[in-house]
Amino acid sequence: MSGFKHQWRVFKTVADVTYKEWGAYRTHSMVSIIVGPVYFVVQYFIWTAVYGDQSSLQGIELSQMIRYFGATALIGYLIMDFADWNLSMLVRTGKFLTFHLRPIHHRSFALFQKVGHRLLGFLFEFLPCLLIFIFIFGVDMRPASYLWSFLSVALAFLMNFYVNYTIGLTSFWLVQSSGIRSAFILVAGIFSGALIPLDFFPQWLQILQFFLPFQYIVYMPAMVFTGQYSLGGIQLAMEQVVGLQAVAVLITFGMNELVRRRAMKQFTAVGA
Amino acid sequence: MKRYFKIYWTCMRSAFLAAIAYRMDFIVSSIITLVGNVLFPLVTLLIYRSGASFPGWTLYEVLLIQSVFTMSGGLANLIFGGVLWTTMSHIREGSFEVILLKPLNPLFFIVATTFSPDSIGVLVGGIALFLFSVAHVDAIPLLSWLPFAALFAAGTAVMAGITLMMAAMSFKWVGNSRISELADSVLHFGKYPLPIFPKSIQAVMTLVIPVGMVGFLPASALLGRVEATDFAAVLPCFLFMAAGAWIYRHMIRLYEGVGG
Repeated sequence: MSGFKHQWRVFKTVADVTYKEWGAYRTHSMVSIIVGPVYFVVQYFIWTAVYGDQSSLQGIELSQMIRYFGATALIGYLIMDFADWNLSMLVRTGKFLTFHLRPIHHRSFALFQKVGHRLLGFLFEFLPCLLIFIFIFGVDMRPASYLWSFLSVALAFLMNFYVNYTIGLTSFWLVQSSGIRSAFILVAGIFSGALIPLDFFPQWLQILQFFLPFQYIVYMPAMVFTGQYSLGGIQLAMEQVVGLQAVAVLITFGMNELVRRRAMKQFTAVGA
Repeated sequence: MKRYFKIYWTCMRSAFLAAIAYRMDFIVSSIITLVGNVLFPLVTLLIYRSGASFPGWTLYEVLLIQSVFTMSGGLANLIFGGVLWTTMSHIREGSFEVILLKPLNPLFFIVATTFSPDSIGVLVGGIALFLFSVAHVDAIPLLSWLPFAALFAAGTAVMAGITLMMAAMSFKWVGNSRISELADSVLHFGKYPLPIFPKSIQAVMTLVIPVGMVGFLPASALLGRVEATDFAAVLPCFLFMAAGAWIYRHMIRLYEGVGG
């Protein structure tokens, strides 16, 4: 119990310090207040033109599509992460060594930092954009189920972190891992569903998504938000979607731990 | 002038040598960028595959717009792509004086020393997609290539202007690594047929922030869809680049350093 209390105190402190640290640069986060709505406007006109007179495409109605893109933008602010870049930088500069001297696991430290950082994102990106979507664009941004949406976003948050952290771990072999990071960002951009709902992909690619991490990061929480999930001809109830997402997070965590242990054997440093 | 060419050539050579210092990363990055740009029109492909379309535009015509946009972006990134990050880094570290002390025009020095070989992948990807699209649209008359070249140059000038404006912004918005996202979001308008947007947005994207010129108008020239009046939009493009250079130089004058 005291161990848990201690962890909780460390969590609160690291998250709080990160919040304050990044709070000094809060106007950087506020770039999203312009960028998010601009992207949304482009998506709105693209899809309005594409739908034309058709009431639905791939089983999705225009209003649902608009809600979907609103949700992906907002979820993006809640789960945004750059643990891969951060870890890569620590390895390349040798600063990772200092984390070996601290009485805290670096992965936990990075996760706690992410919580603090996203708390800032919640206040300066999520909330303003939510208000813009609702009151300026008139989009219905009420989730189909608050509970399942919350759980799904929380799991997407963890999934994104563990996947990114694993990418960052490749720096222990490559030193400069920006190529791998770009590759992942590229593939994730396509298959996460942020650009286009996965329903538009060929059937075999849709089924493949169940075995890749991408859909668990954006598509699933966005579809839980809209209250309808179907992929590759498989329809799932919201509790099933969230359950599947939880299993995917556990598997990703396990894989991350395996890679981390091997990475630690690779690590060499000469002082930082 | 000869001196400037010589300096630029030396900087280009150094940039390539620096890139191959981490050659594995450079190769992977270039391949990824290339593949990324070939995959960029995936959304368009999937839309057309589902049976839907942008009204009045065939799949290959839209791909042509997107390929021209990519080529323009690749070229502008190759030449100007590093200006934003280098400026930002110097401002944050307070070392911009080092550039001001060089016996060279500071803007030219930054442009020359930030030649970005990483962007070759974007350019090559854009060219590949362009050739593919050209092969699938109706035959393009030989005479259409001339207006295309003029409009393409204008579009590339817009991309350069945006980069310079973003870099100029970093003089005041110190260390904000997200400045480029502002440009990226606006550039999104230039990746699709302009007529899908309302008239007011079309006007802004042609005359004020002329990103509509980057892909849409050059591709329209190849497809024989431009009218003589459309060429008037070339002027705002070069004015936009000139404005970018002017604002950047103005911000240099406002720079306050602490010794480098």
